[in-house]
Amino acid sequence: MANALRSNSVAMPAARKAAGFRLSSRQREWIAGYLFVAPDAIGLLIFVGAPMLLSLSLGFFSVSGFGEYSFVGLANYRRMLGDPLFWQSLKVTVFYVVMLVPALYVCGLGLALLIQADTRFNGFVRTLLFMPQTVSLVVVGLVWQVLLIDKIGLLNRLISALGVGGFSWLGDPRLALIMVVVISVWFLMGFYMLIFLGGLQDIPREYYEAAKIDGAGPVASFYRITLPLLRPTSFFVLLVSTVTAVCGSQTFDLVYIMTRGGPANTTSLAIFYVYQQAFLFNEYGYAAAMASVLVVVLMLITVLLFMLTRGGRFTYD
Amino acid sequence: MSDKTKADAPNGAKDRPGPSRRTVLAGGAVAAGATALSFPYVSRGLAAESLKFWQFYAPGGGVATQSKWFEDMAKSWNDSHDVKVELVYVPNNAYMDGTKLPTAFASGAGPDLFIISPGDFLRYYNGGVLLDLTPFIDKAAQDDLFPGVIANRMVDGKIYGLPMEVEPMAMYYSVDAFNEAGLTEKDVPKTWEDLLTVGKKLTTDKRFGVLFETAPGYYQNFTWYPFLWQGGGDIQSKDGKSAFNSPAAAQALKFWQDAVNMGVSPRKVLGGGGWDVVPNLASGYCAMQNVGIWAISQLHENAPNFKYGVFKLPTPPGGKYVTVGGGWAFVANAKGKNPKAAGEFCAWALGSMSPDSIERVVDWCTKAKSDMPPRKSALEKGKEAYSKGFLKVFADDIYPGARAEPRVPPPVYKAISDAIQACQLNGQKPEEAAAAASQQIDAFLAGYKGAPIL
Repeated sequence: MANALRSNSVAMPAARKAAGFRLSSRQREWIAGYLFVAPDAIGLLIFVGAPMLLSLSLGFFSVSGFGEYSFVGLANYRRMLGDPLFWQSLKVTVFYVVMLVPALYVCGLGLALLIQADTRFNGFVRTLLFMPQTVSLVVVGLVWQVLLIDKIGLLNRLISALGVGGFSWLGDPRLALIMVVVISVWFLMGFYMLIFLGGLQDIPREYYEAAKIDGAGPVASFYRITLPLLRPTSFFVLLVSTVTAVCGSQTFDLVYIMTRGGPANTTSLAIFYVYQQAFLFNEYGYAAAMASVLVVVLMLITVLLFMLTRGGRFTYD
Repeated sequence: MSDKTKADAPNGAKDRPGPSRRTVLAGGAVAAGATALSFPYVSRGLAAESLKFWQFYAPGGGVATQSKWFEDMAKSWNDSHDVKVELVYVPNNAYMDGTKLPTAFASGAGPDLFIISPGDFLRYYNGGVLLDLTPFIDKAAQDDLFPGVIANRMVDGKIYGLPMEVEPMAMYYSVDAFNEAGLTEKDVPKTWEDLLTVGKKLTTDKRFGVLFETAPGYYQNFTWYPFLWQGGGDIQSKDGKSAFNSPAAAQALKFWQDAVNMGVSPRKVLGGGGWDVVPNLASGYCAMQNVGIWAISQLHENAPNFKYGVFKLPTPPGGKYVTVGGGWAFVANAKGKNPKAAGEFCAWALGSMSPDSIERVVDWCTKAKSDMPPRKSALEKGKEAYSKGFLKVFADDIYPGARAEPRVPPPVYKAISDAIQACQLNGQKPEEAAAAASQQIDAFLAGYKGAPIL
C-alpha cells in the first residue's frame, strides 16, 4: 500500500507534466460559461456594439452614400446647431415624450388594475387589449388613417352626429401630433398593461388584507402599498417607454405611414428627421451625428432615472 | 482507439449517451457556416451573374398589364441573350421615399438596373452610379427622343437615363358630381378662380371639391411646379441663383392655401396619396383631382364604370398654360457587376430603332399604362391610340404645354416642400415662405458642385 502510494505520488507530477494543457474543473467551468454567453455577446457586439461605434464615427465624416467618405471633424455637429429643422424635430420629440410616457404609464397601470383579477372575462379583455401588438404597424397606420380621414372618416362621422365636425385629425398641425400620441398609446398600452400585471401579481395579498384590517380603503392601499411596491416595474416602464418615444421603431413607423412628418413638419420627430437626412437626402454623416446626439440624450435620461432610483435598487423601508 | 478514449474520458462521460461536446461544437460551427452562407452578403459572390432589375411593378400590383409588360420584356431579353435579367420588385412606398435603394447603394450592393424619376436623378448622378448610356444608343435612336423629354436625363450631352414614358399632369373630374351640382362640361374651370368657385359648388358634407396632394414629398413638389411656372416663376434663375422669392411663387403657394382655407380641398388624401385616383376621385372623396395621365389606366382597370372627364390645368390671371411632364426612366448602375450588359439592356429595351423596341414603348404607353411616349417614332406608331378617348385630350390639349419635371438636389426639394406645406396646411404667409425657401436654396447653391439643375 505504501509502495503503491509512493509510486502514485511519483507518477502524478509526470502525468501533469505530460498533459500540461489540462485545465482544472474550475477553469473548464469558467470557459464553458463564457462559451455559453459567447453567441449572445458576439451577436450584440456585431449587431449593436459595432454599428453604434460606426455610427458615432460616421458623425465626423461627410458620407455621400455612394462609397465616398471625407473627414469633416465637428462640422456636422456645428451644422446641427444652425439647423432649424433639427431643433423643430427635437421640440416635437419633447412634446411627444411628455404626452406619451405619462399617458402610457397611466393607461397601462389603470388597465392592469381594472383587470388584475384572474377571471375568464378578464382574460378575454387582456387578449383584446394586447391584440394591437400582434398587428403590423403598417396596417395599424393605414387603418387609423382611414378612420381619421377628413369628412368621411368614422371619427368625423361620429362627432358630426353630435353637431361637431370638420376636423382634419391628421392634416391639422394642431391635432396631428396629438393623434399620433393617441394611436401610439392605443397600440402600446396592452404591452405595458401586461408588465404592470406582472408587477401587481408580485405584491403579496397579505399586505392588502393587513391594510384592510387596519381600516385602509382602496385609495390608501393603492398609494401606500401598490405604488411603492410597483417602483421597480414603474422604473422599467418609464425607462422603456421613454426610449420607445425617442427612437423606437413603433414611433417611426406610425409617423412614416400616417403623416410622413407632416403637416408642415409638425410630426417630424427627431428619429424621422434623422431618417430623412440619411435615406432621402443621402446625408449619412449628418444623420449619424444627430443619432449620436439622441443616444447621448437617452443616456442622460437613463442616468437621471438611475440616480433618482439609487442605481435601480429599490428598498421598501 | 475508441476504447482508450472512452477509458480516458472524465468521470461519467464514458457512459453518457449521445454526441460528445466536441461533436456538438463541430456541428454548431458547420450550422453557423451554412447559415452565414445563406446570407446575401456572403452568398452574393456565389450567385449566378444575372442582372438584377429593381422596380415597383409587382405581379398582383395595381394594374396587371404593367407587371406583365415587365415580365414579357425580361423574357424576351433572356430568350436571346446570355446575360439574364432578373426582375426584383420593391413595394412602391419603399421605392419612392424608402430606404431600400439608398441603403443598397450605400452598402455597395446597388442593383444593376433600376428606374428613377427626374426628382431623384441628381442624387444618383452626383453619386457617380449612373452609367453613360450614350455609347449603347444609335444616333438615330438618340434623335428619336423628344429633346424636352430627354434633357433632364442628360448631363454634358450624354444620356444617363432612358425614359419609358412622359406623364403630364391634368385635372380629372367626376361626371356624376358635376351633374349633381347642376354643372356641365361647359363649366369646366379655366382659371384658378374658376377652379375654386366650381370646387366650392361641388363641395358637400361628404365630398371635397378639388384635391391636391397634401403629403410632403417629391410627388407633392412635382404636382405643384406647374402652378409656379404658370405665373412666370421658377426655381433657379439664369445666373445660377435662386429665383424662388418671386410673386409667382407666392401666388402659387397662396392658391393651394386658399383651396384648403375655403374648405374646398382636403388636408389629407386617401389611398396611396394624391396620385391614387380610385380611392379619391372614383370613391367620391373629391369631385376633381389634380393627377397625371396614368390615372386613365388606373380608372380603366380598377373603376371601369366610373364616369369622368379630363381638362387641362387652369391658369392664373395673366398667366400662361404650362403643365409638368414627369415619368420614369431605365438607368444602369455604373458600379454594377456588368455595366456593359446593363447598358445594352437599357438600349435594347427602350432606345433602339428596332421595331420591337419602338413597339415596346408604344405598348407601355398605350396598353400597359396610359402615358405619352418619349419617342417620336412611338408617337407615330401609336397614333391610333392617341386619336381617341382621353389619350387624344392629352395628346392634343394637355401634352403640348408640358415642361419636363425639374431635377433638383434634395436640399432644394426640401426647401420648396417646406414652403408648400407651411402655406397649404399651416397658414404661413406665402411671401414669407417663398423668401425663406429662397434663402435656403441660395445657401445650398453657393456650395453646390453637382450637375446643373434643370
